[in-house]
Amino acid sequence: MIDVMERRADEAALADEPPKIDIRGLDFFYGKTRALTGVDLAVPANAVTAIIGPSGCGKSTLLRTINRIYELYPDQRAAGAVTIDGRNILDSRHPLSALRRSVGMVFQKPTPFATTIRKNVAFALSYYERLPRRDLAERIEDALRQAALWDEVKDKLDTSALSLSGGQQQRLCIARTLAVRPEIILLDEPTSALDPISTAKVEELINELRQRFTIVIVTHNMQQAARVSQRTAFFHLGELVEAGPTSQIFTNPRVERTQDYITGRFG
Amino acid sequence: MPLRRKLADFVAFLFAGAATLFGLTWLVWILWTTVKQGAGALSLALFTQMTPPPGSSGGLLNAFYGSAVMVLLALAIGTPVGIAAGTYLAEHGRHSRLAATVSFINDILLSAPSIVIGLFVYELVVRPAGHFSGFAGALALAIILLPIVVRTTDEALRLVPNQMREAAFALGLPAWRVTSRIIYKAALSGIVTGVLLGLARIAGETAPLLFTALNNQFWSANIAQPLANVPVVIFQYAMSPYDEWHSLAWAGAFVLTIFVLGLNLVVRFFARRGSK
Amino acid sequence: MGWVAGKFGALVPIYGTLVTSVIALLIAVPVSIGIALFLTDIAPRWLRGPIGIAIELLAAIPSIIYGMWGLFVFAPFMGMHVEPWLNDHLGPLPVIGMLFSGPPIGIGLLTAGLVLGIMIIPFISAVARDVFDAVPTSLKEAAVALGSTRWEILSRVTLPYTRSAMIGAIFLGLGRALGETMAVTFVLGNAHDLSPSLLMPSNSIAAAIANEFAEADGELYRSSLIALAFLLFVVTFLVLTAAKLMLRRVGGTHGRTN
Repeated sequence: MIDVMERRADEAALADEPPKIDIRGLDFFYGKTRALTGVDLAVPANAVTAIIGPSGCGKSTLLRTINRIYELYPDQRAAGAVTIDGRNILDSRHPLSALRRSVGMVFQKPTPFATTIRKNVAFALSYYERLPRRDLAERIEDALRQAALWDEVKDKLDTSALSLSGGQQQRLCIARTLAVRPEIILLDEPTSALDPISTAKVEELINELRQRFTIVIVTHNMQQAARVSQRTAFFHLGELVEAGPTSQIFTNPRVERTQDYITGRFG
Repeated sequence: MPLRRKLADFVAFLFAGAATLFGLTWLVWILWTTVKQGAGALSLALFTQMTPPPGSSGGLLNAFYGSAVMVLLALAIGTPVGIAAGTYLAEHGRHSRLAATVSFINDILLSAPSIVIGLFVYELVVRPAGHFSGFAGALALAIILLPIVVRTTDEALRLVPNQMREAAFALGLPAWRVTSRIIYKAALSGIVTGVLLGLARIAGETAPLLFTALNNQFWSANIAQPLANVPVVIFQYAMSPYDEWHSLAWAGAFVLTIFVLGLNLVVRFFARRGSK
Repeated sequence: MGWVAGKFGALVPIYGTLVTSVIALLIAVPVSIGIALFLTDIAPRWLRGPIGIAIELLAAIPSIIYGMWGLFVFAPFMGMHVEPWLNDHLGPLPVIGMLFSGPPIGIGLLTAGLVLGIMIIPFISAVARDVFDAVPTSLKEAAVALGSTRWEILSRVTLPYTRSAMIGAIFLGLGRALGETMAVTFVLGNAHDLSPSLLMPSNSIAAAIANEFAEADGELYRSSLIALAFLLFVVTFLVLTAAKLMLRRVGGTHGRTN
């Protein structure tokens, strides 16, 4: 695992660079109910940012604004700015398909499509790029390797994805997302439905991936947040209470509410 | 415990068992009768000769053919429309006025007695044309099939977990592609089950055909004219006073029952296997 | 004789439809509840699947098959064994004797009502099974802990809890019975006279349309049959809509279609 000194160094390095995702004044509504209030959060590139907080605090809601997946539901609405690489992606003029190509999402429950492993990974890829067979196969292998799944499935690419174990299915979903070469990966409680061994594998994967991607992970498991992330943001009742370097949040939070949550007083 | 309560319980126990036996007895009796009468009347001629005039023997070839044509045509009409409507309801059912209307009309069709549907097609097609036709028969069957397919497609699509939908959208794919490639694949077994059960249902329908396709004694492949079909032949022959006709009616009934029940059992078997 | 359009002409089919449906429900409802009790509570697990499927096959049998069996096998059976008994033993009684008088020919209201009842059993029992299973086990366990017998649990916990769904199931069966054509056409006879006896032939709306439409000459005759059909349509729709509303809470009737 990461040495404490190394971690502090990593975290310090992040502070100097411009954020990959810059959230300003974000409000969110489910119908008339306000779920997020005035959220200002900077998410650095090539790092893992963890969103923690008690259930119902708006963590997943925040995540779902970054790829505008909430737009599937007509009564959900976001206001404010979510800026990625300088462009506000909440703007309705911003192309949705391009956004979702560069922002990948992995859900809590593994959701492989009801088809073969190969087709799962190739699915979105063949929509975006017309690739000759060999290149496609290479990209598929590449994605599966990055998701640390290649060795386990290389001999059965044409079998049903539903025959994989839960942990493997989740890594398949990650491979599927990686195949289109996004820049940002959103993880919504990715290991809460998995057993401890699969969880460890996925966390290892996250550690590797952060070198090349910007990762935002929502988790209700504080130990997990402490293990994998460099920055942590604590939410409560739809508000960002405190955000900062992970080690600082967990050892020396500035806000009392954060302290209370970390020590298990509530949540 | 007082004897009265124990007795009441025992009586209930007996009653439940008796009720089940009662239900099963009818099933066995009906099937046994059909097999006994029908198998006895089976012969190769059944599948090679046409329906005979009164008093002679023959076969049911034209009836089998006509039924097959009308049922397949009904499937061809009803299945795509039904799947399309069912998809629309599943994806938009909660949010749209139009969807509520479609759902309501579907309920009306689903609850209409088949004889009423037959009369409806009679007024719509047969009267203006001035004659019965196989096409009208197929149309009536399609109208009976339609709400079944709509309902089962709607339910099958709703069963697809929402997260699968979201995962597909999160990859940036457009709605039509999500539906056609991902959702349909996941719901496929449910949709196919619905279509096959609908097929089993319309294959056995008699009343609507009485007013639309009627019947044809001779070989005909012309759907613009009355077309022979198994259920109406059974009806006419059974109600007649001729023994040869009765015998043919039982043979037809036997074949029809085997087909319908067989299809039902096969569908249920695969539905069970698929839902693991 | 012949069909006379107007109130008298429609009276017999309407009467026949009602009577056969009532008889059908009287048979089917208790039997269906019994079957549901058996399948949800009494039968060993491995037996439930096969018997459940067998009962559902009753719904899959095309109605013309019921008609043929009814005409050639069941009606003669009724005429030879059951109806004479009814005639002899119940016929002479005051008041209800009227219901069981007349020549025992087998074809008639009673036979048709029975066949119809058998046809609707799978519909009512399927709903009953679903609903009995849906009763929270905590309620049943509490009753067991108090020492209740199986019958007491059914009558005091299950049935009251599922009351509106059971009424919905009954409406569902009724809706199905009202619209049934072929089975009834074979065994009801095509009578134009009204008779109070259940042993006498009669007519139903659907059967009348099926039997008479082909011979209906003249606009008036045909229009009156169509009017009857419309009446049947509206009544069936209302009954089945009521059923749907009452069954709303039951989690989907697994693709149940009539």
